[in-house]
Amino acid sequence: MWNGTGAGQRHLLGLPLASCVLLGSAGSGRAQDASSWKDIETKYIFGFTTGSGIGLEGEKEFTVDTIGRFGKRDGHYAATETKYEFEFTPSQFIQIEFGALGSTHNIAGVTDLDDRRQVAATGGFAELRYLAIERTSSNPLSVTLAVEPTVRLIDETSGTRVHNFEFETTVNADLELMKNRLFAGFNLLYEPEVTSTLMGEVQREAKFGGSAALSLRIASNVVVGGEVWYLRHYDAANLTAFTGDAVMLGPSIYIQFTPKMFMTAAWNAQVWGREIGNPVSLNLAEFQRHRARLKFAWEF
Amino acid sequence: MSKVTIMMRKLAFAALCAIAVLPASPSRAQQATEVQLTYSKGQFQPSEVRAPADKPVAFRVKNLDAKAMEFESKSLRVEKVVAANSEGVINVRALKPGRYEFYDDFNEKARGALIVQ
Repeated sequence: MWNGTGAGQRHLLGLPLASCVLLGSAGSGRAQDASSWKDIETKYIFGFTTGSGIGLEGEKEFTVDTIGRFGKRDGHYAATETKYEFEFTPSQFIQIEFGALGSTHNIAGVTDLDDRRQVAATGGFAELRYLAIERTSSNPLSVTLAVEPTVRLIDETSGTRVHNFEFETTVNADLELMKNRLFAGFNLLYEPEVTSTLMGEVQREAKFGGSAALSLRIASNVVVGGEVWYLRHYDAANLTAFTGDAVMLGPSIYIQFTPKMFMTAAWNAQVWGREIGNPVSLNLAEFQRHRARLKFAWEF
Repeated sequence: MSKVTIMMRKLAFAALCAIAVLPASPSRAQQATEVQLTYSKGQFQPSEVRAPADKPVAFRVKNLDAKAMEFESKSLRVEKVVAANSEGVINVRALKPGRYEFYDDFNEKARGALIVQ
């Protein structure tokens, strides 16, 4: 069992982040002339928003990608899910990813959730990405379509044992606004899922939404930005039973340490939300007050 | 059979159908334009090459240096390590008109560009 506290978790996340920013800025003084910079892979420069990049043909990558969710209406809530992911690009149009999931839950005194402190192996996932529109020197827009089926044996929110199947479908688009310097990213998300509890109850739900992000390359190896997400939740896969929505906003940073190693970090706070039938501010039933992402990748 | 299992099978079938209809890379079907490059003293020669639009391109890179180089390009979406004193061929899809930069990933200064017209 895991004995960390929520505050301890935040410190654990903050320390490597601060170190990474310092390391990244140390390397940023080398060249400030964007015309001499190499092209950048846009997939990870927007935080939670995914860019259109699919890597290079023949490239392989291992990543550790942790997303933490913090804060409910009452009590203490901290949950993380980590993807241990292998990705490769078999052609100049397709990228394939797959891997295992691990999770942590630290819940105490939250209405409708059992108190829980646990670390668990959660399940697995696979992703197929197809580059539909490619960027050229005369076309700044690039668009990738992605599908990601995921199987979980632990519920993402409550940490209880379930059989959950999710089928995330996204459109990842980005625009190069200034050559090698300024990028805008856009995501469209549809994420239906079905969950079977140990009591035999079957629940269907879906998330639908989109994001817009802006990222500025401030050095050849450092990109900073901000993003906004609008997310809607439904108690049906076909988007008929709307239960609430939320707006998340926050900054992101991407640092390339070496040509084959990089990290990305992002933080989003819920700035607006509503729960249908519950006149309170924010939607903390289906979403969280804060979410954070920390991802490290090694290409080989 | 549970509803979850049925749903999972339907979604898996849908994913397989989606993969099946994705167009394969067109570069395999047409005759490629061969582009010859030499890599010597940490530089590409020539540093700028040309190729026609809408036709696949095959880079034939001769590495004359005593250490390996990695031909890489984000816009061409290819990378290949070419060992010292050897030759490598990198196949690229049919390209739209534009400028596509390439470089040696092991040597920051070695740059070149493909102009597609």
